[in-house]
Amino acid sequence: MIYEALIIGLKEGFKLGIVWLVFYSYLALNNKKHLLKAFYSAIVVSFLLSAAVFFIQHDMILKDAISGFISVSLAVFFISSAAALYQASGVNMLYPFQGQVPVSDESGQSTYPLFLKKWAESIKHFIVFTASVIFFAPDIAGSIIFLKELSVMKQDALMTFFSALTGYLLVLMLFIVIIRYFRTVAIGGFFSLPQILLFLAIVKLLGGGIKGFAELSLMPSVQRGFMKLAHDFIHQIFVFLMVPDHPLLTITAWNFIGFFFGSSFASIASLLIFLMLPFTFIYYSLVKVPGASLFDKEGISEKTGAQKRKIKSMLLSDRRKKAVPVFLFVFLILFSWFSEKGGDAQMVYNPKPKPVVVENGVVIIPISDPSMNLMDGRLHKFTLSHDGKTIRLLIIRKAEDALSVCLDACEICPYDPEGYGQIDIDLICVYCNTPIPLESVGDAGGCNPIPLTFSVDERFVKIDIGEILKKFEAVKIIEFKEAK
Amino acid sequence: MSLIEVRDVIKEYDTAHALRGVNTEIEKGQWINIIGPSGSGKSTLLNIISGLDAPTKGDVIIDSVNINVLKEDDMARFRREKMGFIFQQSHLIPYLSAVENVMLAQYFHSMADEKEAAEALGRVGLSHRLTHRPSQLSGGEQQRVCIARALINSPQILLADEPTGNLDRENTKVILELLRKLHAEEHFTIVLVTHDPFVSQWGQRILSMEDGRIISDQRL
Repeated sequence: MIYEALIIGLKEGFKLGIVWLVFYSYLALNNKKHLLKAFYSAIVVSFLLSAAVFFIQHDMILKDAISGFISVSLAVFFISSAAALYQASGVNMLYPFQGQVPVSDESGQSTYPLFLKKWAESIKHFIVFTASVIFFAPDIAGSIIFLKELSVMKQDALMTFFSALTGYLLVLMLFIVIIRYFRTVAIGGFFSLPQILLFLAIVKLLGGGIKGFAELSLMPSVQRGFMKLAHDFIHQIFVFLMVPDHPLLTITAWNFIGFFFGSSFASIASLLIFLMLPFTFIYYSLVKVPGASLFDKEGISEKTGAQKRKIKSMLLSDRRKKAVPVFLFVFLILFSWFSEKGGDAQMVYNPKPKPVVVENGVVIIPISDPSMNLMDGRLHKFTLSHDGKTIRLLIIRKAEDALSVCLDACEICPYDPEGYGQIDIDLICVYCNTPIPLESVGDAGGCNPIPLTFSVDERFVKIDIGEILKKFEAVKIIEFKEAK
Repeated sequence: MSLIEVRDVIKEYDTAHALRGVNTEIEKGQWINIIGPSGSGKSTLLNIISGLDAPTKGDVIIDSVNINVLKEDDMARFRREKMGFIFQQSHLIPYLSAVENVMLAQYFHSMADEKEAAEALGRVGLSHRLTHRPSQLSGGEQQRVCIARALINSPQILLADEPTGNLDRENTKVILELLRKLHAEEHFTIVLVTHDPFVSQWGQRILSMEDGRIISDQRL
């Protein structure tokens, strides 16, 4: 049994199981179980779409695309949840449609437009199907890519996929037993549409990572995304002001500015963004008094005081009940953020460079020796002396079977500090705190480390000294400017 | 149309027979007074109609629901929704004000609403006594708070067990006039137990009991 694959199987199985449980309970309670057909169809389609990933030759572009798709689907569910909450607060977001095609039901009240009413059931099935595919397909595809890479590393594809399938089916069987033999309908009482959508976003956030153990959740990539956003935003301000920020500002200044795109700030800021919606839910459920429009829906304007109180009490009780899962989400986010990835994201790993020698114009570095392994996913640094210059190199595993070799410097920042450190799996510029996603290490330009052309065989990484010196020319100029 | 049906109700306590096969129907919106001497079974019948006590045999059907088959929680909910009570003793919470005592009944029904509770006390003529505690109110005023408390949840049935038993004639008259006014306005059904012939004349129907049986049924 391959442990890593088993865990991935368990994780994906749990995601499907918990979503199925909540959705099933919600539909059963609201007499809408017929919509489960669309849900089940979406699961099958998601597996078929994902299976295609197994058979096509994948590369970083595909992996990035799937990773991006997962992040987009997280955003879709998160934003949809806010929209559904807004609708539930009494503002009818479908009103523009109603205004176009006014129709009435038996009681003479304006209701959904005719074209929506006619196709209402089909539209509901379509929405459930599409949302489920958007939710599940990228995650399953991402997991299959991870398993494929893992199988290459373990050199046992059959056992890798068997382990994952075992984990998947084990969890799924557990949920089948829970749904079949326990009275799960009551769970549905804690959810309405906004809570369901928020729940999907939270499940995606906590279990949407596709990099195996390195990223079981999406939190590190959310933090990195925020760091990158803050970095680009601040740089764009300098560009707008036509200030050459990197050469002009000292490291002290960057230490202040860099705080805003540093990991600590990103961790807290992105956490606040994620908690904003749950807190809005809690405010809406527990603090805000229902408006008159909400009671009008219940048709109680003509009823006695006791009847009004009873309906109001039931509404408030229902809202309090539906705040319970939101409190749970807040707890889960906080717990996961600080216990798992949030803490790690703040620690910068910056190893001491190891000296290497040049033999016949070539720098030769062993892929593995008793003191290190270049394929371990950690940042490795080396230093060499040539004509009185001290040149630092960095090497990091970019994919399961690929290395990136770069100068430990970019074309913009001064060379004097230590170049790059590593946060979690990605790099970060020690001088200006710019986060460099692992996927982009090896790409030339901007804040990225300057990539080097190299060759690799089973035992060694080889870099031509001419290539190193040529690329180091760019670094030297910056070092001179800073010295002035 | 009958709101309350009492069918062959027997109540036995060991060797004592409190009710010996009582049958009657009470119409919706009717004010019925049950009279009889001590030990005739009138309070037992009231308690069985309210579901506070269970018959040894027989059924009580209220609004088409056989209350004898309801579980304890369902009975409590049914009572909360359909019935209001007034007893001889006020049973007001001594450390709560008049309005808070009424709000307590709202709270157990659904949720408290101070404005509505104050209005209810206003209807029984106690607008000026909202914040007074029971000990600061006269016996008649306390019973008026009890009426407000009993009616605050708009019950279909008001069950009153000797509501004027502790009052002098003047206050008794005030309470009965108030009940008459509210009954005319809100059309609830009143089942009132009394041994006082003066009180029994205020309703629309008198049920006389003796030794656990109905001995006469008189419409006024």
